[in-house]
Amino acid sequence: MNGYNFAYLDEQTKRMIRRALLKAVAIPGYQVPFGGREMPMPYGWGTGGVQLTASILGADDILKVIDQGADDTTNAVSIRHFFQRVAGVETTTATTAADVIQTRHRIPETPLRAGQILVFQVPIPEPLRFIEPSEQETRLMHALEEYGVMHVKLYEDIARYGHIATTYAYPVKVDGRYVMDPSPIPKFDNPKLDGNPALMLFGAGREKRLYAIPPYTRVESLDFEDHPFEVQRWEHACALCGSDHSYLDEVITDDQGGRMFVCSDTDYCQSRRGEVA
Amino acid sequence: MAQRERENRERVERETVSAAWPGLADPAHDSQRLFRQILGAMSEPGTLETLVLPAPPSDALGAALWGVVLTLCDLETRVWIAADLDSPALRQALAFHTGARITDDPASADFALLTHDAFDPEMPFALGSDTYPDRGTTLLVAVERLENDSNEARGDTNGWRLSGPGIADSRLLDIGDSPGCRRLMSRLGANRTSFPQGLDMIFGCGARLAAVPRSTRVTRADAKEVN
Repeated sequence: MNGYNFAYLDEQTKRMIRRALLKAVAIPGYQVPFGGREMPMPYGWGTGGVQLTASILGADDILKVIDQGADDTTNAVSIRHFFQRVAGVETTTATTAADVIQTRHRIPETPLRAGQILVFQVPIPEPLRFIEPSEQETRLMHALEEYGVMHVKLYEDIARYGHIATTYAYPVKVDGRYVMDPSPIPKFDNPKLDGNPALMLFGAGREKRLYAIPPYTRVESLDFEDHPFEVQRWEHACALCGSDHSYLDEVITDDQGGRMFVCSDTDYCQSRRGEVA
Repeated sequence: MAQRERENRERVERETVSAAWPGLADPAHDSQRLFRQILGAMSEPGTLETLVLPAPPSDALGAALWGVVLTLCDLETRVWIAADLDSPALRQALAFHTGARITDDPASADFALLTHDAFDPEMPFALGSDTYPDRGTTLLVAVERLENDSNEARGDTNGWRLSGPGIADSRLLDIGDSPGCRRLMSRLGANRTSFPQGLDMIFGCGARLAAVPRSTRVTRADAKEVN
């Protein structure tokens, strides 16, 4: 695209983000401050993820963008078109074909492979923020590894509801050290963070923080011995592909109470239907 | 007239520098390609990457580390250069290609250029703080060799066993057995005691590159226990 550098960001900005990314990888789960730029889209639409993607993306890369698992929702389509225009990269909807996957709030059902990079869009990177509003305090809590308050929050769930009621953005501990917000992915996806062969990068544009989980890193979801971490289960199978092991969305089909459960990962659902047909 | 002459002389100097110390032919795409290799090396500690770029005139530095400098340094970064790598030509090339500031104080350096011989664990590089562990120096170290194969085959036991984030089980890395290389690896082994503060290192040997960040556990390959 004329008038813009490759992948929109100028080289100076890319270098700054690249240096921060290397530190993020070296200190897994630690939030590295970076000089987030204004992007041609509003905060909350993935400006952090877009800046990370722009800094790592190459002309030969094949890019996939998903929003809640789907390739065809507004956020995914607009970001995919953005990179088609400013970087001229090839795009795909197939998880297996992609080199870089930018995601909002899901990890694909198809297992990722070594060499792939998953870029998460993050709204609030600080897992302790809703407990402690001060950045200075939360930074100190991370430094002192003072995470008891997070367990208190989960315990309050148990006291009130009888079980841990946190269902998304479920806090994890990375390599036994930093407590990290995995972005608002459903806790169903948390086990996929552990020992994943792909590199996972997280970018928060408004909060100007980025962090990372290197491949094959130990990632544990916080829990209690008597209330172990559990993921969501459904009584239904996907109405389209029949999958009984993927994350399902409930879709209202009429105003008579009709509803159906379908895979949130559209590529996974379609490829399963392709195999059956 | 004097100004014209000075400009001419500066232009000739610049051209000499850029001819001897090559930059990236296609800055946007070359630096992206090199960065992805550096990112791969850092996220999977001990894996070897071969960087493709024109070699600098200094064999001591090597193409890989020169590539890291060209990819990551700019006018926002401070670079510390050890005496054995330091030369007016390197300083000029750094200033010309990256605009990076040279510093005499290791503690204020974002990147440090050195050879394994020059490494002293007492050098006061920045380790970051507990609240901002990212504000540490990244060491770019020229080493004797970079191999992943088991050294038992060669009859020596120099290698180091790496484990931790980025490594599925464990990985052997041999950077050479000089006293400097041993000091480097034992310093990396000590990183765990100060984590999250620590030193991250990128090793270069010719065009080959490997990285060991502070998150990696380092033990002697011949040691019985792996922690």
